[in-house]
Amino acid sequence: MRVAVVGVGWYGFKPTVPELSFREMMFEAAVRAYEDAGLDPRRDVDAFISCQEDFWEGIAISDEFAPEPIGGVLRPTMTITGDGLQCVGQAYMMIKSGAFNVVAVEAHAKPSDIMSPQEIYEFSLDPNIRTLKIPNPLFQAGLDAVAYMRRSGASREHLAMVAVKNKVRGLLNPRASHSAKVTLDQVLDSKPVIHPLTRYEIAGFTDVAINVVLASEDVARRLGDKHVWVEGIWWATEVGTGAVEWHEWGRMPSMRLAALGAYKLAGVEDPLRQTDFSEVEDRFSYMELLSLEELGLGGGGAHRMLESGYYNPEGGYPVNPSGGSLSMGVTLEATGLSRLLEVVLQLRGEAGGVQLKDVRRAVVASWRGPPTYTSIVAVVSRD
Amino acid sequence: MSLWKKSRVSDVVHVEGRMETERYIYTPGPVGVKVAEALMEGRIMGVKCGNKLYIPAKTYCPDHSEGELVEVKGPWIVKSYTIIYEDMYGAKLDKPVVIALVGTEEAHGGLIHYVEVEPDKVKVGLKVEPVFRPKEERRGLITDVMFFKPVEHG
Repeated sequence: MRVAVVGVGWYGFKPTVPELSFREMMFEAAVRAYEDAGLDPRRDVDAFISCQEDFWEGIAISDEFAPEPIGGVLRPTMTITGDGLQCVGQAYMMIKSGAFNVVAVEAHAKPSDIMSPQEIYEFSLDPNIRTLKIPNPLFQAGLDAVAYMRRSGASREHLAMVAVKNKVRGLLNPRASHSAKVTLDQVLDSKPVIHPLTRYEIAGFTDVAINVVLASEDVARRLGDKHVWVEGIWWATEVGTGAVEWHEWGRMPSMRLAALGAYKLAGVEDPLRQTDFSEVEDRFSYMELLSLEELGLGGGGAHRMLESGYYNPEGGYPVNPSGGSLSMGVTLEATGLSRLLEVVLQLRGEAGGVQLKDVRRAVVASWRGPPTYTSIVAVVSRD
Repeated sequence: MSLWKKSRVSDVVHVEGRMETERYIYTPGPVGVKVAEALMEGRIMGVKCGNKLYIPAKTYCPDHSEGELVEVKGPWIVKSYTIIYEDMYGAKLDKPVVIALVGTEEAHGGLIHYVEVEPDKVKVGLKVEPVFRPKEERRGLITDVMFFKPVEHG
């Protein structure tokens, strides 16, 4: 029995959404997703899952705030503290178990309400490391970027090329508020924020709520032909934040393991041949290249493939045709669902200005972001 | 709700709040205490897990065994580094700071710490050594090491 995405809805994708609370944004996204699926949440949806994290909400035990905005009152509703794609993995298992036919997944981000994001990032570090008071808590990205470049031979120019590709591409995507017409020289001439990363290579933040409705094969086929299949999904965590020093710097084993798990379920042995494009983690420029390598999409070196134009929208294997997080912004725990949403729209032929031709199957990859080393990968298909 | 959305920012209401998280007691646990005691004596600990050495020492090994605490004497090298110029809000630091993962050739991991070196002089493989606070100022924290500095030649 297969599992399908039968509906998607979103509200926001702007640096600020002042008019609504995050809970109202969840409601708006959910109403749109159920309309898109042609389902009534009170009659047709068997369970609801929200992916969120208390500190982003400004509320303790925020999972108990989840039910009403998404239609989950008096139903099995649960929260996972993790990236939205982890919720999709949970929904996938629930439907595969046969006990649930339709499961709605939501994740949201309203970073514009968070007055002290830097302090929250700091607070997520090991208390001992926190005593160092490192002035930018995203420092791990710099350590990984330097180690990645040294290992792979990728240069500053390659990282800047990722930023240019994704920032410019996003101009065609109405959901990409952080897109811009930038040139390689502009990126290379700008000052680093966290060496070697410039402001163009560190994604900004975006407010959004995203809702994804998943269903069993029977339900999906009954609803029409808009569905796309989740062929496989897997996730992994490396050493946790409590032993972050033990991370394999310049690599992302969690991404590699998540990919291997998802590919196994999907029957994918050669992802570069057996899939048509991907939406991958790129909240920092180097992460797109590192993700591609760990996903088995790097060929003889992701930076060389990038240089040849292979990952361009018109290239042999488009990567982040949406503009990625560098264009769309980091949407906290909704980052994975942002990537999935773009893949679903592509496979349905509804991606508008960023629509690719003849795409049937894609890889979706997300990282929970610093200071975590948790990654999630899915294979999604039209056929 | 759609009929009630405000179209002028001045009409949007928000309420300021505060997360009450300022006070908490962290329990270092028996291994944490041993590591802290070692720091007060000017020693940096790692943990031996089978034939692998991990820095810094933690209670559990990646293979879920408990491991054996051992002192790491170096020689210390920069295994990766970054230079921070701005904080997350875009405020420029008075002076860029060098943050590095400092470890040894054979060990996994290392310490994340400051390196007192000009930003254009830092590189992977740079030989460094820890500079401890005076004994009476040590508190059993990683900040008992003030920073690492390049090993002077000769």
